[in-house]
Amino acid sequence: MLKLFAKLTDVKWIADLMSEFKLNFIDGDRWQWLVDGLLNTLLITLFATLIGIAIGICIAVVRSTYDKNEESLKKRGGAGYVILKIANSVCNVYLTVIRGTPVVVQLLIWYFIIMASSTNGVLVAIIAFGINSGAYVAEIFRGGIMSIDNGQFEAGRSLGFNYLQTMIYIIAPQMIKAVLPTLCNEFIVLLKETSIAGYVGIMDLTKAGDLIRGRTFSAFMPLIAVAVIYLVIVMIFTYLVRLLERRLRRSEH
Amino acid sequence: MSTDAIIKTLGLVKNFGEVKVLKGITTDIKKGEVVVVIGPSGCGKSTFLRCLNMLELPTDGKIVFEDADITEKGANLNVHRQKMGMVFQQFNLFPHMTILRNMTIAPMKLLGRSKEEAESRAMELLAKVGLADRAASYPSQLSGGQKQRVAIVRALAMDPDVMLFDEPTSALDPEMVGEVLEVMKDLAKSGMTMIVVTHEMGFAREVADRVLFFDDGIIAEEGTPEEMFTSPKTQRAKDFLGKVL
Repeated sequence: MLKLFAKLTDVKWIADLMSEFKLNFIDGDRWQWLVDGLLNTLLITLFATLIGIAIGICIAVVRSTYDKNEESLKKRGGAGYVILKIANSVCNVYLTVIRGTPVVVQLLIWYFIIMASSTNGVLVAIIAFGINSGAYVAEIFRGGIMSIDNGQFEAGRSLGFNYLQTMIYIIAPQMIKAVLPTLCNEFIVLLKETSIAGYVGIMDLTKAGDLIRGRTFSAFMPLIAVAVIYLVIVMIFTYLVRLLERRLRRSEH
Repeated sequence: MSTDAIIKTLGLVKNFGEVKVLKGITTDIKKGEVVVVIGPSGCGKSTFLRCLNMLELPTDGKIVFEDADITEKGANLNVHRQKMGMVFQQFNLFPHMTILRNMTIAPMKLLGRSKEEAESRAMELLAKVGLADRAASYPSQLSGGQKQRVAIVRALAMDPDVMLFDEPTSALDPEMVGEVLEVMKDLAKSGMTMIVVTHEMGFAREVADRVLFFDDGIIAEEGTPEEMFTSPKTQRAKDFLGKVL
């Protein structure tokens, strides 16, 4: 075994590779940077996703309620209609602004203007990415709600469920199943999108790799390592979602 | 104004944009009565039925259900709808729930029944329509006729005072129509108040206490099945029945 190892190190390019590896990750415990960066990336992605889903659900419910019931609500009148109309307009402004501007610009605005007094860069990133993601998740959920046959709403309402109960017991479970693949895709997009956090000096995975490159003047090892880490996380996540999808489908039969 | 009328409509009007679908429907439906609504397609008969439980909001007119004006602003429709079962052409069972769950969710969440109570009632109803062995199945595993029988007992599980049927056999394969009509006949015999929109003239003739002939948004003629089918008075009813009988 040792002999084989000794023989391998005789080969020039393998020896080079190993010294490169040592220089970039072992010396000065630089691997620790990658670990720290990865933790920040995961932290930002996870909490931004949660914020995005929370915002997304609220907006999707407001917008689809408005779209589906505009006529009848107008007729029944009252404060409900006015409140819903205002809420719907606010949602539309939010969607237009968020989807109409680059996420890097939004991040910069949050970091240097809105939350300029905050010293916690990760928190700023979570809020910036969460609010950005909310706009996309909202449209995913709204598409999911609109894709459910109207007969399901009517059956729920005709049994005596109110609008919210119909949403929770009848529409939401079917809708989640329908949007799960798209939602998973949004999570993957977000995970990779957080790589721009370095723009405002947040030490995420990409920034960590770049810092190593700056220190060692060797680009190959750290950047490939960063890419591989992203890839592995996405693959693991995709696998988990496939398991979940299969479980959900089982309830159908 | 207490009468034995369970539903009264007064000058019911429904417009979809410019199109006038209902042009003033006034009728009383008595407790225990089986009313069958017939008429050419597009005559407003389904819209009329869907107005009765306010799935379509009437443009004008009044609907009084059990002495309460449900067209009034602020009327609690959810409570009234619990008392009006509805059966749809497309069944509309909840595909993500078992048959048993389809039948117990509303009684448990809305009437506060315990799981045991709701399930024993559901099983009793399923047994009545011969589907007790399918309680654990999902809707996708059932035939159209079976789905519609489940849809009927799902509505019955809420112990409604009125049952509304919106062309319950129109989406079925011909050989499955009979099993659904059987269930509806039994229901009629048990004294349930029923309003049925259908093209099944045989059912109307056999089961109805009263037949409403809709044409062009009004009740063009009404009467007992005998009057309606053997000696219709209006020319329009004559033409329509001539085509379908």
